[in-house]
Amino acid sequence: MEIPIRCFTCGNLIADKFEEFAKRVKKGEDPGKILDDLGLKRYCCRTMIITHIEIIGEISRF
Amino acid sequence: MDVEIIERDGNRIRFIVEGVSPAFINSLRRTIMAEVPTMAIDEVVIVENNSVLFDEILAHRLGLIPLTTPEGKYGFSEDCDCQGVGCPKCNVTFTLKKEAGEGIAVVYSGDFESSDPEVVPVSPDIVIIRLVPRQRIEIEVFAKMGTGKDHAKWQPVTVSAYKYCMEFDFDSEKCTLCEDCIEACPKQILKREGDEIVCIDPLACTLCDACAEACDFDAIKINENDTKFIFTVEGLGCIPPESIVRQAAQILIKKSQELEEQMKTMSA
Repeated sequence: MEIPIRCFTCGNLIADKFEEFAKRVKKGEDPGKILDDLGLKRYCCRTMIITHIEIIGEISRF
Repeated sequence: MDVEIIERDGNRIRFIVEGVSPAFINSLRRTIMAEVPTMAIDEVVIVENNSVLFDEILAHRLGLIPLTTPEGKYGFSEDCDCQGVGCPKCNVTFTLKKEAGEGIAVVYSGDFESSDPEVVPVSPDIVIIRLVPRQRIEIEVFAKMGTGKDHAKWQPVTVSAYKYCMEFDFDSEKCTLCEDCIEACPKQILKREGDEIVCIDPLACTLCDACAEACDFDAIKINENDTKFIFTVEGLGCIPPESIVRQAAQILIKKSQELEEQMKTMSA
């Protein structure tokens, strides 16, 4: 639904980074490089961002 | 006990502690995670919420937002004059009111109005919820001091961990200079210098023992030094990392003194 506030595994803050990630991926940048830029080093946090699907827009209509 | 800082970058600090026992360094690690107090949202009054998220989910999301915590300014509300009821001395109040206009409105942590400018979300860009037309939320939340042992939202760190320092034991008489160990090392920190194999970066060693296993002649041994540790602390931005470690050390000192006094009264 909405991006979780924190990483499920380590508790790192991720909710402030997803918007930038999504925007830059759309522009065609390399996702791995964006995650490096955002300071997400561990694979737990990286997974949170990569695998997130934003469906809140679809649910909001109802 | 010797402490040497080897890395300091933003919310992250790495230091070497020498001359202590594993029990001591572990108690420091646990104190950092469970006992160092920070501010976190603990009570939420929802005036209106007709968004797609339930009140409970919204409240849970709010609780997880890390807040900057000025050192020593706030105490636990249980120890306060108000006896845990909540007053401006131990609580910080945030208010948030947002309504979607024509399009989609995103509610950010930066939309909160805090009663104390020193206690604010560590980042103003945290997405709390998305609102579509005709949806609005109006909430009032109270943040208070707490510790990680009550709830993980009060933990000041994401990483608080240590590892043993490595001692590279090389026997040049047994070594045949086949260089299998150099290839086996996943961190690539072994190098040949003349007739010897040397470790160029002992701090990067993960103590995986791959080099020792690759050696058919037992020329390499990886020993753990259990009096020397590499400690990593990565904060969330609530408290600077060096302050987290200092506060944890002070809490440990206080607890040891309490234990000593208790023991004295028992033996008396």
